[in-house]
Amino acid sequence: MAAAAIQTVQLTRRFPSGTALDRLDLEVFPGEVLALLGPNGAGKTTTIRLLNGVLQPDSGSARVLGLDPAVDGHAIRQRTGVLTENAGLDDRLTARENLEVVARIRGLKPAVAHERVGELLERFDMGERADVAVQGASTGQRKRIALVRALLHDPELLFLDEPTSGLDPAATRDVIELISSLATEHGRTVVLCTHFLGEAGRLADRMAVLHRGTLRAAGRPAELAAEMWQGLPTDIELAAPADARVLGLLRPLDGVITAESTPTGLRVEVGHRDVIARVVRTLVDASVDVFAATPQPHTLEDVYFAIEAQLEIESIS
Amino acid sequence: MTDTPRDWNAIRAVIRKDVTAVRRSKAVVIPMLAVPFLLLVILPLLIGVAARSQGGGVGNFLDSVPAGLADPITDLPEDEQMIVLVNGYLLAPLFLIVPLMVSAVLAADAFAGEKERRTMETLLHLPISNRDLFVAKLLGAFIPAIAVSWVGFALFCVVTNAVAWGVMGRIFVPTRLWGVVIFWVAPAVAMLGLGVMVRVSVRARSTQEANQLGGAVVLPLIFLAVGQSTGLLLVDLPVAFAIGAVIWVLALWLTRRGARRFTRDEIATRI
Ligand SMILES: Nc1ncnc2c1ncn2[C@@H]1O[C@H](COP(=O)(O)OP(=O)(O)OP(=O)(O)O)[C@@H](O)[C@H]1O
Ligand SMILES: [Mg+2]
Repeated sequence: MAAAAIQTVQLTRRFPSGTALDRLDLEVFPGEVLALLGPNGAGKTTTIRLLNGVLQPDSGSARVLGLDPAVDGHAIRQRTGVLTENAGLDDRLTARENLEVVARIRGLKPAVAHERVGELLERFDMGERADVAVQGASTGQRKRIALVRALLHDPELLFLDEPTSGLDPAATRDVIELISSLATEHGRTVVLCTHFLGEAGRLADRMAVLHRGTLRAAGRPAELAAEMWQGLPTDIELAAPADARVLGLLRPLDGVITAESTPTGLRVEVGHRDVIARVVRTLVDASVDVFAATPQPHTLEDVYFAIEAQLEIESIS
Repeated sequence: MTDTPRDWNAIRAVIRKDVTAVRRSKAVVIPMLAVPFLLLVILPLLIGVAARSQGGGVGNFLDSVPAGLADPITDLPEDEQMIVLVNGYLLAPLFLIVPLMVSAVLAADAFAGEKERRTMETLLHLPISNRDLFVAKLLGAFIPAIAVSWVGFALFCVVTNAVAWGVMGRIFVPTRLWGVVIFWVAPAVAMLGLGVMVRVSVRARSTQEANQLGGAVVLPLIFLAVGQSTGLLLVDLPVAFAIGAVIWVLALWLTRRGARRFTRDEIATRI
């Protein structure tokens, strides 16, 4: 696999209030979307600040785009774009003024900056508000301006801290599509912090779950699911909830791990896709009408909640 | 930390942003213009009018001043004494309120205000070095402070000479003392205002708090010390120079200390 875009080794940052990030080992590969997940206060924003050289680590190290953020933060910041959790716009300036400062600092020529800002504001439906003071803009409008700011210089690595919180459904869909195309079509690497698991599931190649500063799991959702659950859950729709006789037919079958009755029929957990066909055939042979058989692979959401549940059990015991 | 060469493009961009934003906030602009207007236009106007109607010497007052310092005034014709003493000399230290106040108000907005508006983090994630960001924020307050002071002083000269023409019959300000105050002491005092506010803003969570901390406690004390002790000493040019030098040293020392603490990590920790 290509050299990692981001690699951290035992990265640690403490605050007087406690350890915000505790010995993080994490890799992000070029062109992938990593969903950085975890409850409030897990250490997601702190991680971004460390990786972009804004905060210094107390111990451990990181390499971002081949550079050490603790030393070469400036060079890293030239190549990264950050959407901060808080839009951080000056209310007294217009959207365009807020953005043009950034463009100037990033070294864009005034004419280029002007054009690029106009283009991106249009892209996010903010063209009409471009020259109005930001004061009075809604949360979602601010978020869009902040997104433009992160994308202004077409960075190769993006840190997006809750990019869709506060956006309306249409804008959310738009941003999700944008992130997806940045990664898949333009080869950009994206670190995405979010509390929306559906969105993370759609976008992320890999996920990392932080909890109180500690990394609890990292990997492809499907691989993590395979470690947690043996089989593939499959819903079988019948005319009525499956009775003991029907369940009794399926349970002895080779490859069926569990079989439970559900309000719409039954749910089996199978060792492999092929087993689904065998289950359906067995039912049909026994004159049970089958209306549908739908595999329900474990999603990123399932994985996340399973990890959370595990943490809860740990904290009780 | 690797040192990057100074990026004037970025510095200019930040200065322009700060100045534009501040120009649009009434809470900052009004006191920034009202105080200089009172001190540099209204006050000399009143003094000029009073001098014209009453005239008279100031011998008694000058008795308490060392002879060498009082000479340039006691040598004047009696009806010119008061107006020259007040507008030519006594107002000079009072004038220092202008650069001090303007720079302090702007520095509070640039440092504590940026934190309060939560716009600081945006800047921290950009490719601008700590040093350049600090220089930009400093200049963004320093340049307007000097500009307001100098424009105000030009107005003061016009008003003072015009209103005193009947008595003086000649242009008498700027005096040489004013020259030293304007070009040497005023920039030092502006820098002092910056130095104090930079330090105060590290702690303060909002502009208001910074202004309260800096404005209500520290600045008047400094000003009192400067104003009182120099009120009449400033009549003497070498002393005015020396006082300017002392203020410069203090101001630069404070600012350097502020600069050392102005690191991304330090700022981001306090966001
Ligand atoms: N500057 C700071 N000073 C003190 N404590 C801090 C600071 N920044 C973060 N922390 C603490 O570190 C922990 C991690 O915070 P962080 O902001 O990284 O969490 P997060 O995962 O981004 O949370 P959220 O989902 O709420 O945005 C929290 O307990 C927080 O209180
Ligand atoms: Mg956060």
